[in-house]
Amino acid sequence: MDHFDDNEIGKLLRLKRYEQPPPGYFENFLHEFHRRQRDELLRQPIWSVMWQRLSDSLFRLNIPSLTSMPAAAAAVLVCALVVALKVYYPSPSSSIATVPPPVVSPHESILDQMSTERVGDNHFTLRSPLSSRSLGPDLSRQVNESAYTHRASTPPRYVLDRLPVSYEPSFNF
Amino acid sequence: MDQPRTDEDQPLVARAQSGDAAAFDELVIKYSPRLYGLIYNMTSNHEDTNDMLQDVFAKAYRAIKGFRGKSSFYTWIHTIAVNMTLNFLKKRGRRYHLSLDDVDASIQNDKEFIEVTSTSSPVREADLTELQRRLNESMMKLSEEHRAVVTMFHIQGMPHAEISKILGVSEGTVRSRLFYANRQLQNYLDEFRKNPVG
Repeated sequence: MDHFDDNEIGKLLRLKRYEQPPPGYFENFLHEFHRRQRDELLRQPIWSVMWQRLSDSLFRLNIPSLTSMPAAAAAVLVCALVVALKVYYPSPSSSIATVPPPVVSPHESILDQMSTERVGDNHFTLRSPLSSRSLGPDLSRQVNESAYTHRASTPPRYVLDRLPVSYEPSFNF
Repeated sequence: MDQPRTDEDQPLVARAQSGDAAAFDELVIKYSPRLYGLIYNMTSNHEDTNDMLQDVFAKAYRAIKGFRGKSSFYTWIHTIAVNMTLNFLKKRGRRYHLSLDDVDASIQNDKEFIEVTSTSSPVREADLTELQRRLNESMMKLSEEHRAVVTMFHIQGMPHAEISKILGVSEGTVRSRLFYANRQLQNYLDEFRKNPVG
């Protein structure tokens, strides 16, 4: 044979698989690995170890699946706040309910009623609001007419003492 | 060789990612002999190989949570080992000494060993230690990149495609490096043929 060909080189190199570390090397390798890991852990500053453990625990929690948690917590807080406000600030007293509704003639408009109530307070009245004073008589008439079109003949219905005016059964939550 | 077609390590990897140290231990036990061979044949030094292998698994342990499974664990851990060893060899430069591992006695029964020693007079005349030393010296004359390809292809029996994935180069580059490395080894071993006993 003049020289080693590719095939023979390959065969020779494959024999290098038989080169092995000392007996028992791989049995001790894992122990050595653990020992080095412990040594490395001891050399790290305490904040680094704490941070690593925190990140490990967060990783185990599977954070991506918990992305809706803040929204859910916020919703619960808002609900709790609403309930607390209901408890500490009850609805207006029932004395309001004792005030009889004003007697309104069938032909008196809502604007007439409201304007008579507010006339003593100041100069502003709904009968002649500021915005309408400068308007021409045509527009003013249209406003009054439109007021008549909205149930002018029926008395206004107010919800008093949280009870519906109608006697339909209410829903309790 | 024993490259996994699917990532058979996935269950162990998933457990290791969730903090199960025993699962990572199983991966260490499974891959340490193979990675030892890879690093040893690139460094030709037992002590360097031992330190490097420890560092490889330590790095893999720190990085396994970031392993997204884009490649198999087999490819991933081999990539870490090859890259770390190449960096180590570049830093070490030419300052090295051969530290030969024991040759397993079962080599005497190897079909290829019997064939080589019966047909090649230089190999037949040299003892096993001398043959081992010559082969390692020849390997160390190659550049680090060529040595890595030769180790993975000839010694570890990896296919070109797997080597290209590990090294992050094309299969053509792998074949080219292998061809050049074979020519280099041929020249070095021809000297062995001319002067069998060194």
